[in-house]
This record gives sequence, structure tokens and C-alpha cells, in this order.
Amino acid sequence: MGADVSDLSLVRRVQRGDKGAFDALVLKYQHKLVKLVMRYVRNPAEAEDIAQEAFIKAYRALPQFRGDSAFYTWLYRIAINTAKNAVVSRDRSPIEYNVDRITDSDEPYDMQGRMKDSETPEGLVLTDEIRSTVNAAIDALPDDLRTAIVLRELEGLSYEEIAAAMACPVGTVRSRIFRAREAIDRRLREVFEGGLGRAEELG
Amino acid sequence: MNEELDSQLSAMFDNELPAEECELLARRLSRDGDLKARWGRYAIMGAVIRAERGITLEGLAGRVSAALSQEPDLRGAQVSGRTSPSRWWQPLAGAGLAAGVAAASILWLRAQAVPDGSGAVSPALVASTANLNARATAPALRTVRAAAADSFVVPPVPRQPMMVVPATELADYVVAHSAFSWPVTRGNLLSALMVSEPGTSSTPLRSDQRAPGVQGNAIPNPK
Repeated sequence: MGADVSDLSLVRRVQRGDKGAFDALVLKYQHKLVKLVMRYVRNPAEAEDIAQEAFIKAYRALPQFRGDSAFYTWLYRIAINTAKNAVVSRDRSPIEYNVDRITDSDEPYDMQGRMKDSETPEGLVLTDEIRSTVNAAIDALPDDLRTAIVLRELEGLSYEEIAAAMACPVGTVRSRIFRAREAIDRRLREVFEGGLGRAEELG
Repeated sequence: MNEELDSQLSAMFDNELPAEECELLARRLSRDGDLKARWGRYAIMGAVIRAERGITLEGLAGRVSAALSQEPDLRGAQVSGRTSPSRWWQPLAGAGLAAGVAAASILWLRAQAVPDGSGAVSPALVASTANLNARATAPALRTVRAAAADSFVVPPVPRQPMMVVPATELADYVVAHSAFSWPVTRGNLLSALMVSEPGTSSTPLRSDQRAPGVQGNAIPNPK
């Protein structure tokens, strides 16, 4: 299975003029991108602005994306450059880099320019309700479903790796992860339908 | 929403869906608002599990979408790719450039070979055209050919065995010219020559193979 095959499908659609496919890429990576940008700027609103700018730059540069690297790797570079340029242009002085706080090991390591993100921006933090809903849903999952989704989302393992770890077929892993997501999504939808997060949905 | 579709969406989110299925689902995902919302919630779940803080409820995705609605779509844009027709000429251009440089080098070398009146073949021309074999035999051959040369055609490489000059003569030649070479190079060359000689391996030389004054495989001490 290609590591980036679904992203590439969406990218190709955007390149053929389907802007809606780019929405899916934004939805998928906005959280990671904002988190990434928060290493460079403290202000959450500014981080969002930079992430937005990075997405727009990525869209404009998408005709040049050849698929030699993973889409997120490419997007990551754009976001980093956008954040650095923003920091320079706004004449912000770099602050101390705290290596202990870096947990996203799958991202390229970039010591220079990173900043401590010790503040917890209210505007960006998950609402307690969403977090507690998702966590409660995960706790309520059967062990095999919980293990599968956590190995996937937290450890970043592929289905094949999870299958090896759980001693089951890849198809079973796919099913377990899907059922875990469905169970969490049922609860999450209730929260969203209650009014929270409606702005997140694209109209 | 049917379960199979949702299952595919989940696999696609993880980049674990076969490419052909991805194509179809990507098309639907780009148009189906409910599917897109579910996709977005999958992203939120992952963010919560990873304890990411960058979850915004301020509508970043909506703002990006709104901003891009002002942008032209990319349908007409020139998309880069490995088989991009706009770059087909690049390998040919590279090969052409290399061939041009080679041709210029040959012409330059020929120009260097213009006779100086003595009728001798230019050393540069000889050096540039002779192969390793010819180099090994160069001292003897060059003298003969220089005397007979009446044109500046590149001398043909003799189709002869590797060592047309007897090894002992070649050794004499190297030793005779060693006064003009750097001692380290000279030592290496002599060592290589000695190693290439019969009897310099672990097999001892027969008495009739030994050069006069050289005992076995010993190399005379320059001191």
C-alpha cells in the first residue's frame, strides 16, 4: 500500500480543478499544522492565520507538487517557511527551545527557529467537552478496538504493523479501527449537534 | 450512510485504502458534505488521542475554503510530473551538451597537435588517445612512430598483447626515468611493477627468471 496514496488521490483531484478535495486535505491536516506553527508563534490567532496562509500557499503551489514526497511532508515545509517568514516580518525575537515538549517524532526535526509553546491558548485548545467525550468513548471501547485505534493514532503504526502487533489479519485491523471510530463518532456527533463545533463544518 | 463506505473512509484517512478505491472515494469526499464532516471528526479524534492542542473551533477549514473560493481552480495550471511534456527535451539537451563538450575537447586537442616543424606527434595528442595499454608501451612505440610520422592522424592503438615490451626493459625504463619522478610515486610504480612480475607472488622465482642482481622478491634499498 502506498504510504500517501489517499492524499495523492485528493491532490490529483485538486490539480484537476476539484477544490472540494482540498477541503478534505485541510480538514485532515489543520490540527497538525496549527500545532506545528504554535512552535513558532505564541499567539493562537496568529498561528491560525499562518496555518491558513500556508494552506493557501500550498494550494497555489499544488501544480508543482509531483508526489515525490508525501503530501504532508511538502505541506510541512511550506508551513515552516511561512511561520519563519511571519516571525521575521513581525520582528519577533526567538524564545527558548524546549526539547522535552516535542513529541511529534514523525515530523522532520528542526531545532532552529523553534520556540517554546508553554502557553495554552484558549482559542485553540480543545474544549473540555470534546476532549472528555472522545476520551470517554475510547475508555468504553472493547480492548481490541481501543488498542487498534491507539496504535494507529498515537503510535502511527501502519495496519500491517498493527496486525503483526495484535496477531490478527490486516482486514481485522481495518475493521477494528473503523468500528472504534464509529463508536467515538456517535458520541462526538452528539456534541457537535448540540451546537459545539458547527463552525468547523464546511458549508 | 452505508457501512462499507464509512469503512473505506476510515481506511482512506489512514492512507490504507487501495489506490483504485481511493480515486472513487476522493471524488465523493470532495462533494459530499456529510462525508467531509465525518472525515473532519476522524481528524479530531486523532488529535485528542495525540493530545494535540491545535484543535480550532474557529473554523480554520471554513476560512481556507472561503479564501480559496476566490482563487481560480487548478484545472488549467501546468502540473509538474515525471512525464511532463514540457521537460522532454531536458535529457536530450544534457546529452547534447555533453557531446558538444567532447567535440570541443577533441578539436582543441587536435589544435594542440599542429606540427612544430619537426614532424613529431604532439605528446598531448598521444596522451589523450592512447589507452592504458598504449601508455605501457609508449616509450618504445612513440620513438618509432615519431620518426615515421608524416601526418597528424591519431596513431592507431596497436592490437598487441598487454606487455609488448619485455618486463625487464620496462623496469629499466622506469628506473632510468625515476630520477625525474617524486620518490613516493617512484616507489609505488616500482612496487607495482615488481608485483606484476612473475615470481613476485608467494611463488618463488625460478633461478632463470631472476633479474641479475636481484635476489628473490627483494627490492633494493634505495639507500
